[in-house]
Amino acid sequence: MRALLDLLGHAIRDARFALTVGGRTVYYLARAPLDRAAVWRQAFEVGNRSVLFVLLTLGFLGAIMNLQTGFQALRLFGDASLVGAQTMPLVLRLFGPTVTGLMVATRVGTGIAAEVGSMVVTEQVDALRMSGAPPVDYLVKPRFVACILMLPALAVLGVTASFVAGMAVSYGAFQVNPATYANFDLVRTGDVFEGLLKALTYGAVIPIIAGAAGLSARGGSEGVGQATTRAVVNASLAVIVLDFVIGGAAFVLRT
Amino acid sequence: MIRFIDVHKAFGPKRVLDGVSIDVARGEVLFIIGKSGAGKSVLVKHLLGLLAPDAGQILFEGQDVAGFSERDFFPLRKRCTMVLQHSTLFDSMTLLENVALPLRKHQGLSHAASLEAARSKLQLVHMERYADRRPADIGDGLRKRVAIARALTMEPEYVVFDEPTTGLDPISARHVDRLIRRLADETSVTSIVVSHDLASIFGVADRVVMLYQGRVLLDGPPQAFRDSADPVVRQFVNGLPDGPMDI
Repeated sequence: MRALLDLLGHAIRDARFALTVGGRTVYYLARAPLDRAAVWRQAFEVGNRSVLFVLLTLGFLGAIMNLQTGFQALRLFGDASLVGAQTMPLVLRLFGPTVTGLMVATRVGTGIAAEVGSMVVTEQVDALRMSGAPPVDYLVKPRFVACILMLPALAVLGVTASFVAGMAVSYGAFQVNPATYANFDLVRTGDVFEGLLKALTYGAVIPIIAGAAGLSARGGSEGVGQATTRAVVNASLAVIVLDFVIGGAAFVLRT
Repeated sequence: MIRFIDVHKAFGPKRVLDGVSIDVARGEVLFIIGKSGAGKSVLVKHLLGLLAPDAGQILFEGQDVAGFSERDFFPLRKRCTMVLQHSTLFDSMTLLENVALPLRKHQGLSHAASLEAARSKLQLVHMERYADRRPADIGDGLRKRVAIARALTMEPEYVVFDEPTTGLDPISARHVDRLIRRLADETSVTSIVVSHDLASIFGVADRVVMLYQGRVLLDGPPQAFRDSADPVVRQFVNGLPDGPMDI
């Protein structure tokens, strides 16, 4: 029970600090000039670190989903030709943005927390404050903008990878013609918007949570390790919760 | 003038500062000494808002900074800066860019103008030929000199040096001492130096404050420190492993 209360206490403290960091990020976005070079450097980092990971994961996920859906369709209806039409809305709304978000939380979130956390424990963040550079403005803001730009782009690439892999598997396993597979009848504009909104939201939330974890690092390398773990756990949890919230809101709006 | 008045600070159950009061006059070179963990760095970090006191006042030219917000500290940090214990240079920048950063952030200079101005500060610490290197390419001693140059870019009136000669070879250490003395003599910069280095203390200090068990044990000129009959001060001055000072 005590452990559970401790965990809850930590979660509330982390959430409050992340909200503070988020508020300051928005403040500096509105009030301080944006270092475009830093944003592009970070955008390259985010894309470079995640693109292969996202393509592979969503490619395989697309293949698995089409294989399983195709098997079920064959067993129940004796026809797998609509496998593409059935899986596409799910990929657009759910798997594309959310799996991309989880991959970025893992790859990029840990990187942000480790880098910022190391700067905290080696007093580099104090040196930034001495130099007139607020740490949130200098460290979190460029990563925030970069992730907002890159998450939707990565999600689009991921959805494409899933689509291509699903098409190949459907052709190989069930002889579904690619033209038949590319059936977008069940896809609505709202599905695309929902997917993009999720990707944008994850892009905003992941660097804030990871940056907050890094900025709250204390002690030495052990503190950096703990901050990194906190970043990946909290950011992944945030992605899942936000998926539920945005998905739920979209469902309410649709009905 | 800077005044620390009855400053208290504890980290959990550990009481680090237990009512420290020190006055620092304009233009003087004050050394704060004491064994490791005595609270020297903790004390000076309060002045710049890197730590907040549990109780007490810290007056910077009459203004109590103890209740300052982070935003309030930014103008103060233009006038009073700090060379941190580790060199704390940013790995992703060249040495010149490191030194130029405060000029861009505090003064809003353009990238090119800040680099130009930073070059003269590197000359001050004889590091101009390393300007385009990165921190990882040079040794600890050289990094420390660049960190000092960065602290001086804003031409501050007060500089806090946290163990500026630790890890330096004796010649580089004496160069740093000379720089601190020159800043005081030629430009009336007030220096607060946290140090264990006896050669520095006796070479450049105007006044020495020794912290022990969270309080001021001694406050006076270097000669008073050297002549003190206090057994704790004697043990520190003579560097004796055995004595009344708790480890």
